[in-house]
Amino acid sequence: MLIETFYRQIGSEIVTNKSFKFSMPVYKLHYFNNPRRGRAELSRLIFSQAGVQFEDVRFSHSEWPNIKPTTPFSQVPILEVDGQVLAQSNAIARYLARKYGLAGKDEWEQAQTDMYIENIHDLLNAAAVPFMEKDPAKQKELYQKFMTDTIASHVVAVEKQLKKNNTGYLVGKQLTAADLAYYAFFSDFIEVKFGGAFLKDAPLLKSLIDRVKALPNIKKWTEFRDSKYPEEN
Amino acid sequence: MPVYKLHYFNNPRQGRAELSRLILSQAGVEFQDIRFAHCEWPAIKPTTPFGHVPILEVDGRVLAQSNTIARYLAKKHGLAGQDEWEEALADMYADNIHDLLNAVAVPFVEKDPVKKKELYQNFMRITIAPHVAAVEKQLKKNNTGYLVGNQLTWADLAYYAYFSDFLEVKFGSAFLKAAPRLKALIDRVKALPNVQKWTAYRDATYPEDKE
Repeated sequence: MLIETFYRQIGSEIVTNKSFKFSMPVYKLHYFNNPRRGRAELSRLIFSQAGVQFEDVRFSHSEWPNIKPTTPFSQVPILEVDGQVLAQSNAIARYLARKYGLAGKDEWEQAQTDMYIENIHDLLNAAAVPFMEKDPAKQKELYQKFMTDTIASHVVAVEKQLKKNNTGYLVGKQLTAADLAYYAFFSDFIEVKFGGAFLKDAPLLKSLIDRVKALPNIKKWTEFRDSKYPEEN
Repeated sequence: MPVYKLHYFNNPRQGRAELSRLILSQAGVEFQDIRFAHCEWPAIKPTTPFGHVPILEVDGRVLAQSNTIARYLAKKHGLAGQDEWEEALADMYADNIHDLLNAVAVPFVEKDPVKKKELYQNFMRITIAPHVAAVEKQLKKNNTGYLVGNQLTWADLAYYAYFSDFLEVKFGSAFLKAAPRLKALIDRVKALPNVQKWTAYRDATYPEDKE
């Protein structure tokens, strides 16, 4: 697996760069120590699926005021690549997906992959509203509304796209970061939080997220992560 | 040349389709600029992949998500950066603008004029001012006059659309007084012949929405 990744990386470097580096870049991904729901998880899944080593730097919320001014735009996640810094969770994920063969086979598939990743970004933004609500009664109400108003219609729409694509994957005929993004949100967050009932009329989406969940590198990552970083409530 | 049809509400400037229109215009590429009224939306909505716009039709295939559309067009027409790192940086800046568009939506949709004014003031002070300072620092670091690398990318167009074509029009230039490089950048974009051609045409064809 490692050799394959090594040659795949060299291959893509030769094709895309005039001068290629022999060594693997040093990656440091920085984020809050929020286990699953964070905006760094998609990038961690991409690294893991691709078998690429990375430093998974996590800090507590009390450390954030000191770290914030060191970031380009006062936000995380940020990715350090051999010392250069990239911000914005989707820019990071997309950069890694393209480097490691998880971004689709051509520019149209790349665009479709982007589209699905951006859908998830919108859903994360929408979920942030109930997530941040302090009052438990109000939070419960907001989550219910979120599930019935936002999630239900999106699940129907994605199921329709999966049926249309008819390959078992969101984009083209193979795994892309789009599938990882939907797994992270719908299984690793929503399913864990609310159970699988919302998927009862979406067998294609359910089977996709189960397939991703069962990928050997994904399983390896989630087992490691769950034992090292127990879930926040 | 593919046939491009860009679909969005008939919101002139503040819309999420404007970046794509600027990219196509700067690249000198023809496109169908389809705009519909809000009362037409309930009929159009179910025809979109995910119930939102803008969407881009490319020879009959459909793409959704404003930044996905913009990025696809930027890449196809040489405005996305010169290597994968520059592409990532341009993405980062475009995502920044996407966040700022989301943030400004809050005061934008507020109906009560007094509350609206207060929300906008807080927005300028708490959200815009720090971001302008941060971008000015990045522009100084890059030191080429452009956000990414040494030539125009869709990142520069995104910042122009938001900071000049929306905020500057709405609030004047005071918020740029401590950001001479950002001001110079947006003035440079504003003066590009193809951008000027587009904005002149657009302003004549679609007079600005009054809020």
